[in-house]
Amino acid sequence: MIVTAGTIVRVGLLVLVAVVTQISGFSGIRIFGGSFDLIPLVVAAIALYGGSVTGSIVGFACGMLADLALGHNLGASSLVLTAVGYGVGRFGEERDPAHGLIAIPVGGGATLAYVFALGAVNFMLEINARVSGLVLRDAIVTVLLNAWLALLVFGIVKRLLRPVLASEPGRRRRPAETRPTGPLGLRGLEV
Amino acid sequence: MYDRKVIRRRRAVLALCVALSLLALTAYFGESPGGLLHGVQRGAQEVLSPIESGASKVFKPFRDLFGWVGDAFNANSENKKLKKELAQARTDLAQAQSSSRDADQLRKMVNLQKEPAFPNGMSPVTARVIARSPTDWSSTIQIDKGTSDGVRADQPVITGDGLVGKVAQASSGNATVQLITDGDSGVDATVVPDGSGGVIKTPVGDPGDLQLDFVRQPRNLRKGLTVITSGFRAGQLRSLFPRGIPIGTIRSVNRDELATYQRVHVTPFADFRRIDLVQVLTGAGR
Repeated sequence: MIVTAGTIVRVGLLVLVAVVTQISGFSGIRIFGGSFDLIPLVVAAIALYGGSVTGSIVGFACGMLADLALGHNLGASSLVLTAVGYGVGRFGEERDPAHGLIAIPVGGGATLAYVFALGAVNFMLEINARVSGLVLRDAIVTVLLNAWLALLVFGIVKRLLRPVLASEPGRRRRPAETRPTGPLGLRGLEV
Repeated sequence: MYDRKVIRRRRAVLALCVALSLLALTAYFGESPGGLLHGVQRGAQEVLSPIESGASKVFKPFRDLFGWVGDAFNANSENKKLKKELAQARTDLAQAQSSSRDADQLRKMVNLQKEPAFPNGMSPVTARVIARSPTDWSSTIQIDKGTSDGVRADQPVITGDGLVGKVAQASSGNATVQLITDGDSGVDATVVPDGSGGVIKTPVGDPGDLQLDFVRQPRNLRKGLTVITSGFRAGQLRSLFPRGIPIGTIRSVNRDELATYQRVHVTPFADFRRIDLVQVLTGAGR
């Protein structure tokens, strides 16, 4: 990703819109007990196209903003989203996935990691009550809903970030063309 | 392959973000609610509040649409259930009217009017919900009224159906409400007319199943009895919630003959997943 002031503003606005849309809009929509969760999807999308460094920073910022806006334990979401951003970023760097439907497993996987890791962190920190089995159901529904929503979110994020990305996301790189060898069979010697 | 510089930078950024998160978590837990980070959090909520309020209004039609679709699925079974409840309510009404006369006389006898009667003197402030917690682990909502409207921490919050929670923290233009379905919440409650007392707790992830714990075993509770806030007082110690705010009805009772206490499952009156307007009882605890 080419880091300029414009890039920071662009990503910052994306994060702000994602967090506000999530807490004021999507959180109130319940489907079979679960709901869409835009936050891990946006972090995962930016990490996939921007790399692990961008993913870590965006995950941290997104989590911090969510915790600040909701009055939750400051640092819990940012810790988990940093890890999610880094993980997805490394996956993108290592595997360079080009398939058009890659958003579904990546979005689903990122949500799965986020939901369970955040649950574990919150559980360790201060939950004093019993935990209903329905938490698991809600988490699975959220992961499934997010897996489908990922197609749309990843598409929007890719479109918004395209001008500031170092390479075109999703375009498979072709191997460099081999030049013909010289008469002595030495590579690079052209006659 | 990446060169060492890139790898080092990548790891450094990860370590820095993780360290900052852990530092924030540690400091946040270590400080009092009036501390620096809590103050920053209140400031951020103050700044984001108008944006959230606008976004909430924009998304309301979408939320209503999804809610309507969900309601349509449940309408048939809900209709049968409501008919049964209506028949029961008619019977209860007849009993209640005759009990009401008896109660008036009894109230005079035992001087019950000293009890804070709900909702007299509560000065309710109506507020709109502008944000909801997206996780099951922390059941909080944000409302668009704050200290400038008389809202203070620990004041009870209700809907038209009954108790939903208490104000966790408030800034000048908005406040965070901890719902009674939050894992950390506990409400002292009593069953009427039985009089059994206990504490309402909720298992994380199941807001439809409040649990009344610490109810002594010999009590013979039955399905359908109403649970209200007890408003207990013991010397200086008093409940945050005034007596008489309805919470829900008993759905089932778990009896274990070996246990000292029984666990009572309560269906809440309030629908915690679809709250748009609430009232903060600003006069409570005066």
